[in-house]
Parts: sequence; structure tokens; C-alpha cells
Amino acid sequence: MQLLEPALVDRIVHESMAVLENTGVLIEDAETFSKVRALGLPGDESSMRIRFPRATLEQALRDAPKAITLHDREGTPHSHLADDRTHFVPASSALRILDRKTDQVRDPLTADFVEYVKVCDGLDHIAYLSTAFIPTDVPKDIADAWRLYLHLTHSKKPIVSGAFTAFGVRPMAKMMECFRSDKQDLIDRPMSIFTCCPNTPLRWSEDSTQNLIDCAEAGIPIEVVPVLLLGMISPCTLVGALVLHTAEVLSGLAIAQTVRPGTPVAFGGAPASFHMRLMTNPMTAVEVLRVYCGYAQIAKHLDLPSQAYLGLGDGKFNDAQAGAESGIGMFLAAMAGFNSVSGPGMLDYVNCFSLEKLVFDDELAGQALHFARPTTIVDDLPAGPLIEELTRDGHLLTSEHTLAHWEDELYIPGIMVDRTNREQWENAGSPTQKDRAAKRIESLLADYEPQPIDREFAQFAQDLLRGASSETDFTFPSIGK
Amino acid sequence: MTDYAVMNQHLFEGNHQQVKGATEATLAEGRPVLEVLNEGLIAGMAVIGEDFKHNRVFVPEVLLAARAMKAGLAVIQPLLIGDGTPQEAAKVIVMGTVKGDLHDIGKNLVGMLAEGAGFQIVDLGTNTSARSFIEAVEAHDAAILGMSALLTTTMVYMKTVVDEVRAAGLEIRICVGGAPLSQEFADEIGADGYAADASSAVELFKRLTAWPERAATGSSKAISAR
Ligand code: B12
Repeated sequence: MQLLEPALVDRIVHESMAVLENTGVLIEDAETFSKVRALGLPGDESSMRIRFPRATLEQALRDAPKAITLHDREGTPHSHLADDRTHFVPASSALRILDRKTDQVRDPLTADFVEYVKVCDGLDHIAYLSTAFIPTDVPKDIADAWRLYLHLTHSKKPIVSGAFTAFGVRPMAKMMECFRSDKQDLIDRPMSIFTCCPNTPLRWSEDSTQNLIDCAEAGIPIEVVPVLLLGMISPCTLVGALVLHTAEVLSGLAIAQTVRPGTPVAFGGAPASFHMRLMTNPMTAVEVLRVYCGYAQIAKHLDLPSQAYLGLGDGKFNDAQAGAESGIGMFLAAMAGFNSVSGPGMLDYVNCFSLEKLVFDDELAGQALHFARPTTIVDDLPAGPLIEELTRDGHLLTSEHTLAHWEDELYIPGIMVDRTNREQWENAGSPTQKDRAAKRIESLLADYEPQPIDREFAQFAQDLLRGASSETDFTFPSIGK
Repeated sequence: MTDYAVMNQHLFEGNHQQVKGATEATLAEGRPVLEVLNEGLIAGMAVIGEDFKHNRVFVPEVLLAARAMKAGLAVIQPLLIGDGTPQEAAKVIVMGTVKGDLHDIGKNLVGMLAEGAGFQIVDLGTNTSARSFIEAVEAHDAAILGMSALLTTTMVYMKTVVDEVRAAGLEIRICVGGAPLSQEFADEIGADGYAADASSAVELFKRLTAWPERAATGSSKAISAR
């Protein structure tokens, strides 16, 4: 898909580098500013701005890997983020969940997170997981790491995560190191991508900068995710927004490469619009979809792995709006060739997670991936013999060609997509989408295979978390079997 | 000659220089300060506020009008205080995003709209500690303390601020906001008010400070929606 002429892509990259050379980025904390400057990046003490010479940016682009291979807990390669290979992942860090039993929005608990991991672990088209929401029954200062702990104890798959505080990455890295022989092994075989957000426009907070540095040191792949709000903290036009977005991603990339050349960095983003009446931040606005498709082209041009927040809905429920927004987002993401696509399961401007939506989105993801496959000739050219067979027999149901290819070509969705005729549907008890979601979730929970870990790890991690919390008087919620 | 309708129209259109000029000219004519404030500025803002509520104008227009309002207020402010009527001076709101949190888009919008409604905003920025809040409230004799938080990890700090502000014995209304919050949470931590968006935040501030509510009558007729 090509939204931008190649010359325009070039020009945007050029402009964004000029922005980094001239304006640079503000590091919002003096000590952190000094740290970044000590890495060898030129900075101006009085304005706390780091400026990036073009040569530094070009070197960073040469140093950055063209692909990210995520490994599972055991260290086996799991997902290869490169070229046009698309992976769908639940969106991350919702504040609330939509309770599937009561249809009410509420605070998430540890039990909800465990249920989510068990369900997500079995989904066919969700490549790996994310720390989708924040359990509220542990001290808040370790909630980020607690989610990772719950994931590691219930799934072998890689995970998209991130830290909420300046020093959040370290305990999380330590936990992951438990599954590798040493630090270097975690660098060589990463199991997670961490989100680091610049503070648009062109600022890096103490937390995010420290997270960038810590991730780079620990070898945790980073997705740099600017959150532009078009018309509010970004130009409202496509090209202007893309210049700002690209500059912010390149600033994160350059800092990470300066810390440790070769740190895997994905060209990410979660651009949103700004609603000029409601003052909300629509993530799925049509103008935002153009920003995504634009920066996908830029990421490819720079030969970097890419990440997007697509496949989510901004409404409150799993209604037509949710389906349309999520489906459009996922199809565009797959067609644009984004490598890691965070979105499934999310509603309400990244504020609310729904398990029912996740199992539905899994089907949309499957279809988007099926759609975006490269087109090839599959024993169908020259077409003469096949057409002859069809006209002779009147159907191709038992033809060798069909038998060889139909399972690859004809996508049969699971129960979340209704393909019954009315009678079949009535005979099945007229199940609504909600009924089918409940059934799908129950069957995934029943099929879930525990992924046991050493007792020692549990003890180590819990001690680590206890040490990292400022609270002392708490017990960890039971996480069942 | 004083023509408040024209002044209101300038305000509506966001012509800040004209509003400043008209405020100065009207005062030079000898009109009472409070009259200029009410008839010239507040009445004009009331119209744009109403139009915003009814979807006739959008955020940029409201902010342009707010900027014009501020330009007029800057002229009036010193006179109000000099007048010996401090209670009529613009009420001060100390605003900040709490410690550990740097989400400030919502807070900034609230500040801009409140400024447009005639409040004076002291913005402490992001990552604000209880101590900084308290110091600012004392230094500016603020009427309202507005706190914002967007993270579940930082919203809890609001309780610390509320407790410390109360412990310091400050007479101040505390308002809170941000996506993870709710009225329930605000009640729980002992805040005086919660609002879910910037427009209702301004309503809340007015209510809590009993800002003189001026209906947009009379002069509003002269104002045409664009
Ligand atoms: C933009 C954004 C950012 C930007 C912030 C830029 C900035 N200068 O503010 C950046 C990219 C920097 C950012 C960073 C992070 N973010 Co953020 N961010 C958002 C996002 C998408 C939108 C927030 C926003 O601006 N909304 C638009 C404004 C206008 O709305 P609002 O803030 O709600 O404000 C309105 C009302 O709430 C009210 N209001 C607000 N304040 C006040 C105050 C008073 C007194 C009153 C009365 C009313 C009031 O009026 C406002 C106007 O109508 C939210 C998701 C969301 N939709 O909320 C996530 C979100 C809040 N972020 C999140 C996360 C996880 C992070 C990071 C930890 C990510 C990371 N790992 O780097 C960091 C944390 C940094 C930190 N220490 O604070 C999570 C929070 C999860 C949680 N459970 O706490 C969210 C929910 C997204 C998600 N699901 O991941 N983020």
C-alpha cells in the first residue's frame, strides 16, 4: 500500500532529521539529561536539549537491527519481526476491563489477568501477548512488574510490556533473566518488547529516557511509541504529523543505539486525533489511519521493524463500531506490513479491555492475515486444464486442485464469525455474539495447558517485587493453579 | 463611547488586541471596573461557552476567546486589587499533574478553559509534589487546587496531597480529574470535586467558588455565531 510517493518519504525523513539537528529533544530531568549527554550526544545545558547530528542518526540507523526475533520463555525463536510479516497482539495497559458477565466496567484484578493469559495463550491468530491491563489488587508501584510475573508463570509466549516508573525496567529484566543462562543470553534471545513513549512534542521524560537506557542495556527490544494528538500536540496535516512522528522515533532510536549499538528498536506509534468538540483522543479516526499507513512506509524505507496501535475500538462496547474500527485497523495494518500490531481486545481510547472483544478480534486478525498474503500462482496458470475440468464435471469439489489447495485458500472462521444460514442458526439456539464469545472463552479456558515454572522462580520474583514496592503490609493475591 | 456589544463580539472572535484596547478605552472613559468585567468580558465569554455547549463553535474558537478574555483581564486585574475589592479579583486556581505522572494534555485544556472563564491559573506543570502544591496555594492565596492524574500508579498520590493540604490547615477546595478517576474515587480521597472533562471542570470551579453567574442576555443578541 502506498500513501506517499517515494520522493515524499525521502523528504519527510530528511525534514525529521533536520528537526533533530536543529531543535533536538528536551530531556525533562537534569540528571537524566546529563546521563544522555554523557553517552556522547551533544546537548545544551541551559535548554536541556539534546541535538542529533545527521551522522549520528545515520550511524544509529546502520547499527539498528533490521529485524527482531522474539523468543519464548524456553528460548526458542517464536516470532520474527521483519519484512511484511504481521503479528497481532492485544493492546496494552488498560485502566479498566469490561466484565463479560455483568457488562459493567470495573477495576481489573489478578484473577482477571490470569484468565486473560489463559485465554490469549490459546488464540490462533494472536502471535504473542501483552500486559493488557493492570491488576489493582497489588501495590500500584509494582503493578507493572506483577503483570509480567503473571504472564511468565502462565504462558511461554513472548510479551509486549513496559514500565510505569523510571526504575521499573530493572526488576522486570531480572525476572526475564531467570529464564536465560545469563544477561547476554537475554540479549541474544529476547522474550519481550517494551514500549517507550516520547512525550510529544520532542520531549523525553525522566521515566521514558531511563526506560530506554535500561532496555538497551538489558537487550530488551524497544518499540518507540509517540502519541501524537493531531491538531493538539501535532500538526493536523499528514505530512507535518509524519515529520514530527519520525523525528521522535529517530530520537529514541539514536539514544538506544548510543547506549548499546545493535539494540533492537521498532518504529512504533499510537497516533491519535484530537476531537475539537469533545476534547477526546480518538485512536481510530480516519485521519489517524493515514498517519499509520504513512509511517509504515517510512519504517520500511528505513529498513526498521515496525509497530502500530491498530485493531482497537474507541467505543464502549463490542458493538458495530468496535467491529468496524478494529477490522479496518487490522486490515490496514496487515496491508501496510506492520510487524507488531497492538490493538485486539481494546476499547474506549485504550482505556478498557474486553476478553469478549479479544476472542472476536482474533478472528478479524486471522482474516486480515489471510487477506494480506502475497499473491502467487497456485497451479492455476495456465488455467485451461482447470477450466476444462470445471466445465466437464460441473464442480471442482473433488478436483485434485481443490483438494490440494482449498484449506490454504478458503478461510473458515471460528464461531465468533457467524456463517450459518438462518435455520442452522435457529437450530443452534440462536446464539448471539455474546453467547458465542462466552462459549469460545470457556472452551479456551478448558483447553488451557498449564505452563509450570520452578517454585524457586516464584519465590525469587515475589521477593524481588516485595523489595521494589514502597508498601510493606500486603500479601500477593492467590493466582490459583 | 462604550459599546459592550462590540467588545463582546471582539471577544467572541478572539481578537485579543481589540479586547485589550476596548478594555483600556472603556476604563479611560470612567466606566466602573466591575461593570467592564461583567458586561464587557464575562458576558462575552458566557456566549461562547453556550455556543460551545451547543456545538456551534469548537475548541480552537473557545481558546482564542479565552486568550482575548485574558488580555482584557490583564488590564482589569491590577485595578480590582487596587480597588480594595480582592474578593472580586480573578480567583486563583493552582493546577498540576501529580508526582510520577507527566500526562498534562487534559490538565492544560482545563487550565485554558478556566482561564477563559476568568480564573487565574498557576500551572505547576507535571510531576508535582504535595509540598509544591501547598507552597503554591499559600503563595498565591488560591481558591482552588486542581490535580490531574492519568495513571493508576499515580492517582493514589492525590490522597497524599489531600491529606497534607488538610494537615497544613489550608482553606482550599480541591478538585481532581483524569481518565482513571471517578466521582467515587474523588469522594474516597476527600476531594471537594471531580469533573470528567474540561467544560464540566469549569462549571465545577464556578460552583465551588460561587463565581457570579451571568446570563448571556442583552449583549448576546449583538453576537453572531460565525
Ligand atoms: C497521550 C498519552 C500519553 C502521552 C502524554 C503526553 C502528555 N503531554 O500528556 C505520553 C506518550 C507521554 C504518555 C506516556 C505514558 N503513558 Co500514556 N496515555 C496517553 C493517552 C493515549 C491519552 C491521554 C490524553 O491526553 N487524553 C486526552 C485528554 C484531553 O483527556 P484527559 O487527560 O482524560 O483529560 C480530560 C479529563 O480527564 C479532565 N481532566 C483532566 N485533568 C483534570 C484535572 C482536574 C482538576 C479536572 C477537574 C479535570 C481534569 O478534563 C480533561 C479535558 O477534557 C492515554 C489513554 C487515554 N485515552 O486516556 C494513555 C495512558 C493514560 N497512558 C498510559 C501509560 C501506560 C503510559 C506510560 C506508562 C507508557 C510507557 N510505558 O511509556 C507513560 C507514562 C509516563 C508518565 N510517567 O506519566 C496508560 C495508563 C495505564 C494505567 N493503568 O495507568 C494509558 C491509559 C494508555 C494505555 N492503555 O496504555 N501517555
